[in-house]
Amino acid sequence: MQKPGVGISGAGCVCGAGMDLATAYVSMLTGERNPQAPQRFSTTHADTYPVFEILSPLPAPGTDAELLRTTRLALSAAHEALNDAQLDRELLRGLRVGVCIGTTVGSAMNSEEFYRDFRSGKTPDMAPIERYLRSNPAAALARHYQLDGPSQVVANACSSGTDAIGVGAAWIRAGLCDMVIAGGADELCRTTYNGFASLMITDTRACRPFDVSRRGLNLGEGAGVLVLESDAVLKRRGRRARGYVLGYANATDSHHLTAPHPEGRGLKAALARAISDAGIEAQQLAFLNAHGTGTPDNDKVESKVLCELFPEVPVVSTKGYTGHTLGAAGAIEATLTLVGLEQGRIPANAGFSQMDPALGLTPTTALTPVQGSIAVSESLAFGGNNAALVLGLEEHI
Amino acid sequence: MDTKAKLKQVLVEELNLEDVTPDEIEDDEILFGEGLGLDSLDAVELVVVVQKHFGVEIKDMDEGRPALQSINTLAAFIEEKQG
Amino acid sequence: MMEMRISGLGIAGAFGCGTRELRAALEHGGVKPSFCADAGAQSIPVYRASTTALERYLNKRVLRRIDHFSRLALLGAFEALEDGEYNFDFIPARERLGVVLCSGFGALSTTFRFLDSVMDDGDSFASPTAFSNSVHNAAAAHISMQLGITGPGQTLSQFDHSFISGVQQAQMWLEEKRVDAVLLGTVDEYCSVLGYCWERFLGIKPSTQMRPFASDSSSALPGEGAAFFLLRPQQDGSAGYARISGMECGHVRGSSPRLGSGAPLILGCEGYPDTMNMYREHLPADAAVACYTPLYGASPVAPAFDVAIAALALERGKAYPAPAAPPAETGWATLSSGSAVETLTCVDFGVGGEYSALHRARPCL
Repeated sequence: MQKPGVGISGAGCVCGAGMDLATAYVSMLTGERNPQAPQRFSTTHADTYPVFEILSPLPAPGTDAELLRTTRLALSAAHEALNDAQLDRELLRGLRVGVCIGTTVGSAMNSEEFYRDFRSGKTPDMAPIERYLRSNPAAALARHYQLDGPSQVVANACSSGTDAIGVGAAWIRAGLCDMVIAGGADELCRTTYNGFASLMITDTRACRPFDVSRRGLNLGEGAGVLVLESDAVLKRRGRRARGYVLGYANATDSHHLTAPHPEGRGLKAALARAISDAGIEAQQLAFLNAHGTGTPDNDKVESKVLCELFPEVPVVSTKGYTGHTLGAAGAIEATLTLVGLEQGRIPANAGFSQMDPALGLTPTTALTPVQGSIAVSESLAFGGNNAALVLGLEEHI
Repeated sequence: MDTKAKLKQVLVEELNLEDVTPDEIEDDEILFGEGLGLDSLDAVELVVVVQKHFGVEIKDMDEGRPALQSINTLAAFIEEKQG
Repeated sequence: MMEMRISGLGIAGAFGCGTRELRAALEHGGVKPSFCADAGAQSIPVYRASTTALERYLNKRVLRRIDHFSRLALLGAFEALEDGEYNFDFIPARERLGVVLCSGFGALSTTFRFLDSVMDDGDSFASPTAFSNSVHNAAAAHISMQLGITGPGQTLSQFDHSFISGVQQAQMWLEEKRVDAVLLGTVDEYCSVLGYCWERFLGIKPSTQMRPFASDSSSALPGEGAAFFLLRPQQDGSAGYARISGMECGHVRGSSPRLGSGAPLILGCEGYPDTMNMYREHLPADAAVACYTPLYGASPVAPAFDVAIAALALERGKAYPAPAAPPAETGWATLSSGSAVETLTCVDFGVGGEYSALHRARPCL
């Protein structure tokens, strides 16, 4: 039986492809991408691993230097999403508004400067720790908008953003909230850069998801936020939703800390459950936004599952334009998926030129018109987490 | 200490293999999967370990895979690189 | 909301491991913090938890890459499932079990061990094993791998507010029928950097003793541990310790917990003057209260330990002796040892102003 969809009344995104959602999508449709060496930090690796870094100043309110960059990214994207939904702090007052944000390291206590001093027996100043304690993204958003609803940070590594939106939708469905600010955010930093380099899964060239020559991912940074809103409040405000969260599911591999299950066990389960949660059939999908990081392993497992479950559905990985933004990825991709449905066209899978015979999957090779009003955005993560969202333009199919 | 003996020792220490001693590792024992039972995460850790203890860089897994078969292959790789 | 039943408990803290040792600590007290010399210049008392009991479940080979943080979590998980007699023999049970893991700070020691690898030898010597274990969801991953659980998994992290978010998540999954049961756990660990922060922020000294209701100066001592719960829908008829009949959470900026007059309360007071003021402001004047934090110290796990104690008290229908009495000027009565309890509410105010109230009742009411 089909459950009612949860209205999306606003969307915002800041990432390497653009400082707002519309700009990012236009640049992707034109095939623009420009990964380059990190600018905000340096490392001593022999090779350079290009990244999709945001070099422009973050739009307000993401300007507060007293917060970690991850949190500032979340604030910028949330502001855009709330503007899009024609909401402000005043209008949120009196409503039960929840906040659910996915992130990976944004709330980790990993200030290198502080720790270097601590290790060498000095007594480092506490400012970095105070900043960290102020910067839990969900708590900071709730504080900024003076909210009193549930707030939660999902730390499921690279599927966090997808999961956070799924959680937000559940809160609305359960009547726990009138509105939820849901999404994901992650900054690019030395810690993750070194970590991914040590795992030998970053490419020294621009990433090439699903291509036969793929060598790894490029890191990115950013945030994506959706405003989810109950039918009753939408009606009262006289507004129509941009789209709907129709289904969501999450399943674990129970296999390995970093490697996906070779048969994609968890991914398959998450996708199948999300589709059934939405009460739709696989052939109704207009397209699917894949995780598609460009690492040999991820793309192999993911293609296997996608070819089996959705053989006819157009597939695109947008990471060739944004890089892998980790905890933000699922949320950024959900906002891009929504725009793809609205415009009826999706970009070419950047970096792809030749099919890998071991994968048998050919993603979009050019700007592609799509038909239908439903799409899936999915994520895989370290720790064997897998999550999928079904988004649509209509509440009932 | 020769390369093989040193390799076995750092393997046990750095990968925390508390249930085997260096002497118990055979020169031709398969390191991954069956055999010693290491996995893909150990493989990338070994790349760091080899660089740290032997000053030899394994640039990527295309180079690493054949070298990381056994103590024999890894020792030969290290000795060749060290010249 | 749909009620949940606590049908298994897995706990490890300074008081020991398992319900038997927690009961003993509740009856006889005597839990003492140990001293950690590595915290900055001086040694501060810390409520540490041991994971040696984990060797009962996992061998050395399996444990070689698993850090203290994930070991605490695994210990809690194994104990809770064993205590709740969860039957793993058939696959659907593994698919229909969700894992919710809450942590305020994540795997701190491994986070810093990763930075050590970079600072000791350089960027290209960063340890991939440390990196992948420092990710916040590493503990949940180890649980899912070691127990073969393939249901949904969620790791939540929001300092003091982490555990209540987890309760909400578990309740939501059960209500949506995504799962038949949820393994909900909270885990946090002490590390030397945390000790330094404690010294700098709170002026903790070697002689500091935990006075949970202190409002003059901070007396919070750091703790660590794991508290895991096997939760099932109340109506599934299985046995259990207590049922969770209601839950409130919010922020003092907009609301406060609704607590009935004279209701027996377990308070999460940890010796922070700032939060003590919130308890004073928002609790009914005639509340009957108990606080057990001197058995496990201050940490994001403390609210979960409170819930475990409430579950044990409700199971036997009698309150446990409280290790500290509220100051007279609060007007609160001490929930006296052995007094009959039919319901208990665990109330917690976080440093940031988030609050939660978890209402629990005896299983058969």
